[in-house]
Amino acid sequence: MKRILTFLRDTRHLLVLLLLIAAGGAGFMHLRGGMIPESFGRIGPYRAAALDEIAARPSVIMADSTCLKCHADVGEERADTLHTAVGCIHCHGLGRQHVAEARRAVDSPDVEISPAKGWDGNFRTDIDLYITKDRATCLACHQKVVGMPKEFKKIKGVPREFKWINVDEHLEDEEAEEPESRETCFECHEGHNTEP
Amino acid sequence: MTHQTDDTNGTSEAETLRSRRHFLEKVATITFGTMTLTLFPGWSGSDEESSGSDGEKPSNDDQPPVFGYLVDTRKCVGTGKCLTACRVENDVPDGCHRTWVERYVHFKDGTVQVDLVPETGYADSDMAAINPDDVERAYFVPKNCNHCEDAPCNQVCPVHASFTSPEGVTLIDDERCIGCAYCVQACPYGVRFINPVTETADKCTWCYHRIMRSEAPACVEACPVGARIFGRLDDPNSEISRRIAKFPTHVLKEHLGTRPTTRYIGISGEVT
Repeated sequence: MKRILTFLRDTRHLLVLLLLIAAGGAGFMHLRGGMIPESFGRIGPYRAAALDEIAARPSVIMADSTCLKCHADVGEERADTLHTAVGCIHCHGLGRQHVAEARRAVDSPDVEISPAKGWDGNFRTDIDLYITKDRATCLACHQKVVGMPKEFKKIKGVPREFKWINVDEHLEDEEAEEPESRETCFECHEGHNTEP
Repeated sequence: MTHQTDDTNGTSEAETLRSRRHFLEKVATITFGTMTLTLFPGWSGSDEESSGSDGEKPSNDDQPPVFGYLVDTRKCVGTGKCLTACRVENDVPDGCHRTWVERYVHFKDGTVQVDLVPETGYADSDMAAINPDDVERAYFVPKNCNHCEDAPCNQVCPVHASFTSPEGVTLIDDERCIGCAYCVQACPYGVRFINPVTETADKCTWCYHRIMRSEAPACVEACPVGARIFGRLDDPNSEISRRIAKFPTHVLKEHLGTRPTTRYIGISGEVT
């Protein structure tokens, strides 16, 4: 009995030390658990939930196939021209509201689909849907600039060649009526079908 | 007395020596024993973990898709449509770029000029005109994140906010990023920036939200000449696989060993 008491008296400080270490360890693990996000490490050394969060963002740019569901005639009109590769969004804007309305209109015919407006000349305009007849839209691609290839390579199955133009020379050669006008390209060309 | 004392001293010295020898023997046994034990994988604790992950390993059908991105510089005409598309799609603030297009102009006198394509294209831009007669060759090089297999940006992130997804896309976890910009420094291609709105690191994600819905990234969708091609490398019939099989491709700064996955057709070593 005396032996046990002596043992306890002599080792009490060790027990206290052990308890302190255990408490400290438990506290550390608790803090650590609180600081590591729930899905961390499930797939790799990162928060796996971030993948779903990033993937859940909405798509903004729409593919032409969305537009052509209703505007199939435009698709046919430009089918054999180089403009088949040019996205609808480049000349008509994002059209998010327009498409949302059109989708709703499928079920309820009384939904009004807002028509296209004019373009304000800003490539990042807020206008949802517009029709541009502005040379700036055309020249973004068609103005001859140092660095452009000598001709269009085959574009998505359209085996046509196109030589770049110097717009000023072109307008002079073709005797454009109003070479200074913003709409001068449309004196001879249509947007969808590029034949002169 | 003296003799006795000597004797006692002799015994204790012998004991000390013996215990030292024992101690050293034990240390040697434990050290080499442990070292030998680690040679057998069956004895280490990691075995259980590895067998566990083997059981969870997805079958071949569940493998994540392998995406690839190919830039055909022979086709790019510098319209800047991809730049606007990216900005709109990803809400990139003004002054920051997730993607950009460089123009390399090699003059006949041996000098090289590199400039950036304006977002509205060259028409109506106030950039100085170049006399085509002085130019030996010139071409456009679209650039964005290379989504390296061995990405230095991921390695330096102190909070594991930058990582590579199972599909091989390098992404940033906005919630964890502390905006220290260490990754911005680490990227040898300069594709990262600190977004002034979110104050976190930002860069091209190959439009992860789009590609996971089988849509093309915004820049690819917007390109009117097909200079940017995106697709699955694990499908041998995809356009990108067929083109990579047909043409020699090049990656940027190959010597750095980052193993970029964005490939280029039609450029040589001067483009970095």
